[in-house]
Amino acid sequence: MKLFYAAASPFVRMVWVTALELGIADRIERIDSGTTPMEANAALAEANPVAKLPTLVTDDGDALYDSRVICEYLIVEAGNETMLPAKGREHWSALRLLALVNGILDAAVLRRYEAAMRPEEKQWEVWDEGQRLKVVRALDELEREADQLGDGATLGAIAVACALGYLDFRFGHENWREGRPKLAAWHDDWAKRPSMTATVPAG
Amino acid sequence: MKLYSSPRSPYVRKVWVAAHELGLADRLELIEATPRNIIEVVGRHNPLGQIPTLVLGDGTAIYDSPVVCDYLDTLHDGPPLIPRDGPMRWQALKLQAIADAMLDQAIAVYTDAGRPAEQRNEAMLDRRRTRLKRCLSSLEDDTASLDGALTIGQIAVACALGYLDFRLGRDFWRPEQPNLAAWFDRFAERPSMRATQHPGPG
Repeated sequence: MKLFYAAASPFVRMVWVTALELGIADRIERIDSGTTPMEANAALAEANPVAKLPTLVTDDGDALYDSRVICEYLIVEAGNETMLPAKGREHWSALRLLALVNGILDAAVLRRYEAAMRPEEKQWEVWDEGQRLKVVRALDELEREADQLGDGATLGAIAVACALGYLDFRFGHENWREGRPKLAAWHDDWAKRPSMTATVPAG
Repeated sequence: MKLYSSPRSPYVRKVWVAAHELGLADRLELIEATPRNIIEVVGRHNPLGQIPTLVLGDGTAIYDSPVVCDYLDTLHDGPPLIPRDGPMRWQALKLQAIADAMLDQAIAVYTDAGRPAEQRNEAMLDRRRTRLKRCLSSLEDDTASLDGALTIGQIAVACALGYLDFRLGRDFWRPEQPNLAAWFDRFAERPSMRATQHPGPG
């Protein structure tokens, strides 16, 4: 399998941490594909018209995306039965957690793009504040649910940990830990896993 | 079940079309959210304040749209909209991912058009349009992938194209994608699509 990869992308990190936790990372070749919102990587666009990271090319040559679909595929490939509960309340709870994290990251990544790519006089402060508040509310929800995140490598926990790691990386000055002691304690503990220390974002 | 919704949301339409196709539409109570009240109304169930959000009888909230579709697909005994395993599953989920990504771009393009001109970033808009057109052209090159048994992939693509007609105009994509347009026009005849059309412009 091949994975279009960039060390700064939280969605890529989610996939790579999943692969490490599943013990199948050595079956995946990483293709470094730094991309910006203004410039698509040609090889990536060829494999995936959306031209977004991560994109996984399977051994059969099929391209898969987005990150949630890739993680699910890797779990099936690895024959793992615990990372994503197969059914029942726990299943839907895990998928909801992934959606919540996706919402946080979509908003955070967009804010970063706006700040980095849009000429300053064209930044839209009302818009930015709306995105910021979306993240704030989602983080507050995670604080309420922090006791349920657990210390195991579930897909939900991986996603939450990668999202919080991204906020540290790009929005450290906004300090998401403030007022969220349970979530902060959970993250600081979970982030000690080898899969996390091996994937600290850079770039 | 309560489905927080808007007749203008293509992600809601995808869920609503799926519900019709699965014979579940009459089990969903639609509650309309507006941009003004969405945080207050939907935020209690989903901190992202996004629609669609499905709330079950016991108060469990389910989102976002792929998860809601996945959930609805477990409530019936017919052929699944999301094939349970194998290559068909990944194909369906990939089509849905393309369609949803097209919508992300289309919504941003439409929204940006509503910003004051001096706050628009034409370079960014161009990138979004390019990405959107690349997705359209990959679908045009492979309309065969849209044939076969009904899956969430086809529903998602149809709802994305319906949204382009609704917000960016028919000329935005139809002239360059005649095969895709022909496929869409056939698909749009399905009762599920006819029952869920976006309202007139506005």
